[in-house]
Amino acid sequence: MATKPIEKDTNVFVTGNEVVAWAALAADAQIMYGYPITPQNEIMHYWTRLAPKYERRFLQTEDELSAGFTTCGGVMTGTRAFTATAGPGTILMQEPITMAEMMRIPLVVVVQQRGGPSTATVIYSQQEVNLCCYGGNGEGFRVVYSTAGHQDLYDYTIKAFNTAWKYQIPTIVLGDGYQAKMREAVTMYDPASRGIEMEPTKAFVGAEGCPGVDREPRFYRNTYNTEEELLDVVGDLKAHYDSFKDEVVEYEDSDIDDAEIIVVGHGVVSRACKEAVKALRQAGYKVGYFRPITLRPFPQKQLAAAAEGKKAILAVESALGQMKRLITDGLYGMTVPIEEYFKPGKGVSSQELVEKVKSMLD
Amino acid sequence: MAVELTNVAPAMPACWRKETKTHKFCPGCGHGIVLKALGEAIDELGIQDRVIFTVDIGCCLLAIDFFNVDTVQTHHGRTNAVCTGIKRATPDKICIAYMGDGGGYAIGSQHLVNAAARNEKITSILVNNTNYGMTGGQMAPTTLPGQKTETSPYGRSVEQQGEPTHGPEMIAAMAGEGAYVARGTVAKPKVLKKYFKKALQAQMDGSGFAFVEALSTCPTNWATNAKKTWAFLEGPMAEEYPTGEFKVPGEGGKAE
Amino acid sequence: MTMDRIVEAYIGEYASGKSENAVNRALTLAKQGREVTLVDLDLVEPVYTLRPLISLLEEKGVHVIAWKTKETLGLGEAGSVLHPAMRWALKAPGDVILDIGYGAKGSAVLNLLEGIEDEENLRVFLVVNTLRPMTDSVEKIIEYLYETGPAHGLIANTHLGEKTTVSLMEAGLDMVKKVSAETGLPVVAMAVDERFRSDFPEERNDGIPLRFLHRYLPKGFW
Repeated sequence: MATKPIEKDTNVFVTGNEVVAWAALAADAQIMYGYPITPQNEIMHYWTRLAPKYERRFLQTEDELSAGFTTCGGVMTGTRAFTATAGPGTILMQEPITMAEMMRIPLVVVVQQRGGPSTATVIYSQQEVNLCCYGGNGEGFRVVYSTAGHQDLYDYTIKAFNTAWKYQIPTIVLGDGYQAKMREAVTMYDPASRGIEMEPTKAFVGAEGCPGVDREPRFYRNTYNTEEELLDVVGDLKAHYDSFKDEVVEYEDSDIDDAEIIVVGHGVVSRACKEAVKALRQAGYKVGYFRPITLRPFPQKQLAAAAEGKKAILAVESALGQMKRLITDGLYGMTVPIEEYFKPGKGVSSQELVEKVKSMLD
Repeated sequence: MAVELTNVAPAMPACWRKETKTHKFCPGCGHGIVLKALGEAIDELGIQDRVIFTVDIGCCLLAIDFFNVDTVQTHHGRTNAVCTGIKRATPDKICIAYMGDGGGYAIGSQHLVNAAARNEKITSILVNNTNYGMTGGQMAPTTLPGQKTETSPYGRSVEQQGEPTHGPEMIAAMAGEGAYVARGTVAKPKVLKKYFKKALQAQMDGSGFAFVEALSTCPTNWATNAKKTWAFLEGPMAEEYPTGEFKVPGEGGKAE
Repeated sequence: MTMDRIVEAYIGEYASGKSENAVNRALTLAKQGREVTLVDLDLVEPVYTLRPLISLLEEKGVHVIAWKTKETLGLGEAGSVLHPAMRWALKAPGDVILDIGYGAKGSAVLNLLEGIEDEENLRVFLVVNTLRPMTDSVEKIIEYLYETGPAHGLIANTHLGEKTTVSLMEAGLDMVKKVSAETGLPVVAMAVDERFRSDFPEERNDGIPLRFLHRYLPKGFW
């Protein structure tokens, strides 16, 4: 075995895609399966440069269907494996993700959002929230971490492997083209140095012993016969999801208590929200900040508590309400108005949010 | 004294899972013969403890619990991809992908073609019964010219739908050195078993991609009795699809 | 070709600071009253590019050969396209500064330029940020040089973005000096963010020239 890729804390100047490749190495991922699509390419570029140095493997597949299904196959052997994609690739990735939902395969997918619909731009957007949370012909039995920068990409890529294997649930790290390409300083670390133990993997197939002789063979299927049978199966999947969702739900907030308005944003947009709230507070405005880190499961109770009695919520996103739908669903029954600041496919600056909030309060 | 027929043990391959027999395929279906030939090949090679079986959607999914080997059923067309993923992660396993003609030549053709192009070290078995059996007998890439199916009710028109897909010929033309490619038929199960053994051996030797198409029968959707079923298999199907080895590691190709 | 013509190619690891060094170098030369053409040869990664900076640079007297946004389609998807003017860039009068993108082929990208074999003034400089994970040790930098080169000189460009300190920059320079000692390639310059100008003397004791960088590339995103 080659040496650990990260032995001690290392401050480096990197792009987000590189961070993901390094984090996957540090998390002891053994193989990546992938297909080129901008803006996630450098995850593959760096994984393929680094993999041979640390005895890891890579397979370039024929499309994202194959990337997802080969990853499912690799994971089922008890190998920590992952793939990465974006945009139209995230659409194709829904098919393997649904198989992982049904069969509880710890699939890890990194998504770097680009503009949509269709081919659109390769640059940036937050329009893959619907797909990542609820894509596919199912019920969204996935965990989705929305990252806001390089340290997040490092931390949550590592965490995604652990969440996936601990709960046997497909897990998505949701970044975007800005995070993918931006250059920032980040501290890379050996997970063990932070007390993070990598969840042990488990072989679905190919365990020791001859099936039928030394042990029972294992048959994994996603096909069922009757409505009743499926009702039970999906009920079990839901019960499983409900059993851990409070443990994995994550959010960040500040300045909530006396706030009149709560600014809500996820991913890289949350950085602008945070800065705007800081500036507004300095100017004497009573404004709070809330960022869902897990979009699925959504921190519904926490946001509801924060929103209680407020004058308004401002939903900010680089999409036409994909996050807002999660908020609306989470706050059903509350009367707090939800205002919109939507810029599909375009970044949001703190200055424009400051102006927007002022226009709501003045 | 009359012999109690129920006490005569049928000649089943050792790796077959007896608890799941009799199997779930239609009477007269060729899958049973294909899977018997495959089971015997596994037995004779002594690899039951190393095999991982992956099955497609369609009638082949009924093979989910056919063998005493770990088995994964995936989505329609994606079996070569899942099988590839397993093999890449655990190269010491013997990985078999099992699919129909729709899964291999239509919805999953990119996975078959690219597994062959990469000379993926898996054994891919495709059962050709000239139609989509499980979905109710629609036209498949392998449906013969003029053959009636639910989506070619006046017979397959070559002008509209093109010629039937000849998989092994295509794969043999593109697969790399060390690949094994053959077409067998359930009419000759011993030859079919020989092809399976060589296809598995190619994987065990790590020589290259192995692909075997098996001509099979679908009396239910063909609406044929035993005699007509066999006549179609050995007549028009055999004429359209020549059997034999199309590529053998170290030998090049030869048809029967 | 006049002997004093400057033709410099900036190569290096992804996000090592090639473009920033190339842009600043071109502007320095222009300020000296020289005729300068700056060429964007980043063919792999059209994210941080000169495209959004064209008018700014041309106002400052640098002639830029780069795709304009309205001339392209799909950016990243169709980014790896050579502008015809790039092929003939060496025919430009005066100095030519070449910003070479990262990529597995390294400085082989220069083969795309007509007349490169006969360009006697060509100097290829490897820009090194020792806080980039793939170039964070003497061994790795030499390995990188071997894969990417050949080069005529090294530019020490160690920084950590907003978290840069003088001691980090000096440590980076020390590492680059070791690479210089092992490879015989000179350290052409130490690049320093202009906000640290007051932390450095006019002339360093070790004689390494300083190049103070103004950060233009944050405006060059996509």
